[in-house]
Amino acid sequence: MLEFGTVTLEWGTLLFQVIIFLLLLIVVSKYATGPIAKVLEKRRLHVENELATAERNRKESENLLAEQRRMLDEARSESKAIIDRATKQASDEAAKIIAEAQAATESMKANASAELAREVAKAKAELRDEVASISVLLASKIIEKELDEAAQKTTVDKFLAQVGDRL
Amino acid sequence: MLRQDVSDNLYLLMERGEKMSEHYSLRFDVGGWVFDIPTMIMTVLTAILVFVFLFVMTRKLESGVPGGKQNAVEWVFDFVRNVNAGYMDYKKAMMLMTLGLSLFLYIFIGNQLGVMANVTTLHKGQVSEKVMEMLTVSETPEAAAEKREKIEHELADHGIHVAWWKSPTATPSVTFGLALVVLLYSHYLGIRKSPGGWFKHTFLNPIHILEEFIIKPLTLPLRLFGNLFAKEIMIAFLLSGGLLAAAPLFVWLGYSVFVGAIQAFIFLTLSMVYISQHINDEH
Repeated sequence: MLEFGTVTLEWGTLLFQVIIFLLLLIVVSKYATGPIAKVLEKRRLHVENELATAERNRKESENLLAEQRRMLDEARSESKAIIDRATKQASDEAAKIIAEAQAATESMKANASAELAREVAKAKAELRDEVASISVLLASKIIEKELDEAAQKTTVDKFLAQVGDRL
Repeated sequence: MLRQDVSDNLYLLMERGEKMSEHYSLRFDVGGWVFDIPTMIMTVLTAILVFVFLFVMTRKLESGVPGGKQNAVEWVFDFVRNVNAGYMDYKKAMMLMTLGLSLFLYIFIGNQLGVMANVTTLHKGQVSEKVMEMLTVSETPEAAAEKREKIEHELADHGIHVAWWKSPTATPSVTFGLALVVLLYSHYLGIRKSPGGWFKHTFLNPIHILEEFIIKPLTLPLRLFGNLFAKEIMIAFLLSGGLLAAAPLFVWLGYSVFVGAIQAFIFLTLSMVYISQHINDEH
């Protein structure tokens, strides 16, 4: 025991204090810091785990998003190609139809004009025949009876040919 | 004139404080080892309070989101761990958590106990021979006889106060005990890490010999003891001042709570610094 006035240092009390404190350390370690450290470690692992999972999920969703984006782009370009193709096809079709129609029209026009020409020729021939017979009739009536119709016809034909050339 | 009054009053206060501060405690001697009974009571009480606090607070711990009780104990845990981690790596800090948490709570609660209450018994006239023996335990028979004479005189006059309740940390035996545990543990860890390194660090530099065996063992416990002893003395002194000292007493009690917390923090910090000097790789 050391004495400094009213302050004393007692070895017995010191020893007792050390023993009590060591006992306190043992029970605190067993009942407090041990469980707390365990729980904190568990929480740390849990958080780490959750973070890793979140990171994994994020990566996965990023990949999925990229995939989706790529597919969307693909679909978009595909649809664009389809539309382009359809448009081209439609315009081709239209051009074809128009060309066909034009061709048909042309041929119809050609047919019609050919027909017309034929009709005109036919009409001319008929008219010629008519005019010939009428002329013969007229001539026979004018020149009186004996005039041979056939002999007259050649003369009239000659005349008509001259007239026809002028027509 | 006013100054004269104040100094008169101060003198009066000091005189009364001197009377009040004369607290005796019962001791017993076992083969030269002296044990102080009130200190032992407070030591055990503080240890029990620390344990009960930690035990109650750490029931049904939750590794998910903690509740209020667990939040509180985790706050204390984190506080101590942050102090530890300031001087060493995380693994070592966790290894020293039991010591750190016990030290901090023990000193903190021990400091506050002396602020909260003060239990003394007043004895007048006569005490039994056995009690007288316990009151006069001393180093030498002469000192014991001198003390006995003084106590007998005081018993006949205004009686003696026997202390039962005080901050355990206001006793050098307790603070030296705590420091001894910390410093021996720091040396143990140093030797366990590398005996050669420990020897080189501790003995080859005279400054280090001085530091390890004189400065640290004296400053660490005496700082705590000095602060707490001053606190107890001041409280006893102000209590004897009556109404005149009521306001300063109130202020001083508030300050004592603060000092108690600060000193617990300082003791914890220095302990961790001293331990880290032995377990860290670079010095």
